[in-house]
Amino acid sequence: MKQVSFYYSTKLTFDDYVHDHSFALRIIPPETETQKITACNLNISPYVSTQQTKDAFGNNVTAGYLKGDHRFLDFEIKGTARTDCTKHRTDYMPCYLYPSEYTKPDGELKEFYGEIKSKCTGTVQDRAEYLCDTLSDVMEYQKGATDTATTAADAFGLKKGVCQDFSHILISLLRLDGIAARYIAGLAFCNGETHSWVEYWTGDHWEGIDPSNNCCVSDDYLVISQGRDFRDCAIDRGVMFGNHTRQLQLVRSVLT
Amino acid sequence: MKDIRQEQFTKAVGNAAEINELLRRYGVKFGIYKNGVFNEQFFPFDPIPRVISAEDFKSIEKGLVQRVNALNEFLFDIYHEKKIVKDGIIPEDFIYISKGYLAECEGITPKNKIYSHISGIDLVQAKDGVWYILEDNLRIPSGASYPLIARELTRIAAPQAFEENEIVDNRGYAQLLKETMEHANCGGIRAILTSGRYNAAYFEHSYLAENTGSVLVQNDELFVEDNILYHRTYSGGKTRIGVLYRRISDEFLDPLTFLPESLIGIPNLMEAYRSGNVGIVNAPGNGVADDKGIYYFVPKMIKYYLGEEPILKNAPTYLPFYEQDMRYVMDNLEKLVIKDVAEAGGYGVVFGRDLTKEKLEEFRKTIIAEPRRFIAQEVIDFLDLPILDNGETVMRKADLRAFVLSGETTRVWASGLTRFSRNPDSFVVNSSQGGGFKDTWVLKEKE
Repeated sequence: MKQVSFYYSTKLTFDDYVHDHSFALRIIPPETETQKITACNLNISPYVSTQQTKDAFGNNVTAGYLKGDHRFLDFEIKGTARTDCTKHRTDYMPCYLYPSEYTKPDGELKEFYGEIKSKCTGTVQDRAEYLCDTLSDVMEYQKGATDTATTAADAFGLKKGVCQDFSHILISLLRLDGIAARYIAGLAFCNGETHSWVEYWTGDHWEGIDPSNNCCVSDDYLVISQGRDFRDCAIDRGVMFGNHTRQLQLVRSVLT
Repeated sequence: MKDIRQEQFTKAVGNAAEINELLRRYGVKFGIYKNGVFNEQFFPFDPIPRVISAEDFKSIEKGLVQRVNALNEFLFDIYHEKKIVKDGIIPEDFIYISKGYLAECEGITPKNKIYSHISGIDLVQAKDGVWYILEDNLRIPSGASYPLIARELTRIAAPQAFEENEIVDNRGYAQLLKETMEHANCGGIRAILTSGRYNAAYFEHSYLAENTGSVLVQNDELFVEDNILYHRTYSGGKTRIGVLYRRISDEFLDPLTFLPESLIGIPNLMEAYRSGNVGIVNAPGNGVADDKGIYYFVPKMIKYYLGEEPILKNAPTYLPFYEQDMRYVMDNLEKLVIKDVAEAGGYGVVFGRDLTKEKLEEFRKTIIAEPRRFIAQEVIDFLDLPILDNGETVMRKADLRAFVLSGETTRVWASGLTRFSRNPDSFVVNSSQGGGFKDTWVLKEKE
């Protein structure tokens, strides 16, 4: 068990006024068996009235609508939590066993799985760890080679990527191996940015695994959202109107 | 007896030209996309009505109510406990590989647990008189306005036909629809959402809005604030919408939940819906129940949820997914009709007998490679109906789209859209494939 503090902020700036701006944030960490949220405070500027719901995957959604002209949207969350990875989450959904938009394997990924399949044996945990090992042997962690729209198949073709790509590829392999797996977006200790990792279903609970660092998930990880892949977990999604041509996004996150 | 009525009617109408001229003048059209080009086509009307006896209609009605009730139970089950999968009635794969299954809708309970408010069920009558279900349309079935307006016009062109024949009045559809929408209303006005005049059924959207007292809206007039859906008024104010009869597909409905690139959706509509602040007619996620692969299981659903024997039959269907069925399909491909489960509107329907030897072999390989993508059905030798072709009566294939509305109770509209193929060799009657339509007369019960 560990007491952690978390902080995350995004500053969105537009080069011209925008209006009728609807947004949905998945930024408030969920209260689960493995993490108790002891304090949490969300600030949004400019002031806007918001509503909270829980989506199909168990994420906290904060929805808002900024009608008038504005040139920026900032949101900031800080709080404290008690993490305990010896406890287990059991919120299973069958859809986690099937390919999703970002994790659908292509021929190359299927072929790769076909080659290593015979060595992927033992318990679910053994198989998951084997797949994670194999993946870190062939993939190189490199920023800038991929972006948020890159699929598992595309990143695997490049053999390069960041945590999002590592997670997508591992999910794809796990699902090919008949193991249900989900994407986790969150904050991790050693990391100055938002992080992502994977949870696989052992048959009775979820177990966390971090393919970018090829290690198990510890109390140094705080879950913010979960889903079939990145698309279900996007921290902020928005639609706005205006003549702006560019938006600048500055993100800062800390977990201590 | 039926023939006498039709003859009388044909005589009464004289010929179709007058009504078709009226339809043209009223702008009854059907939009079609072909090779990326949008065309508004005239949907040809045939003056010889299809006549359904009171007795026949009664049994169809019972069967349709039963079927739609089971489908609504199924949708609630799939998005909650999934008992039908756990009990082994439907293999899990069929649910989660279906494009119509939307994980985003898990756990949402629409008002009164009704998912399919307006169901368009396609039937055909075989030569032996037995009715078969061809497919269920539980997403946004269109076509109800065509028989409505056709009836209006034939009343003008041939009023005596309605004096001489005991026909159930079908003009109550708008009232039925209005009651159905009201039953799903979570507090506010009724609205019909259209993607605009380039939608294939725009004519119908405006017709139904006018006749149900709903506002016809496009997405830029709507917004969600505090998880409540509002209509922007001209004076700069806002009116709360309690029920939205949307005529756009699920994936375009809310860019913050589904396709981010959708320009015709309403951001955060799904949050308002999940919070129970607005009813969506029909519910998003219904595609899992009218998937061509799930069709096979509907008779099983009726037994499972209702404990009843299905009143209406499915066409004999095979799933290549099952080994035994695959063998049958491979052995009989040239006499079966194969449907691609991902396609709609008569696209992706292939008759084995129309294929050359090479094409048949090619198709065989495709089915083996992707067994889940196809269903195979026996070709039902369905009843030909008379239509007028340049003044002569010829016989053509026709089906019936029945409209079933689920509100306080489940009711079948005593009419429907009879579509026919204008091509004498074709079984495909979809309006998007250039077919025509007839009025459907349901006869009154004799006192």
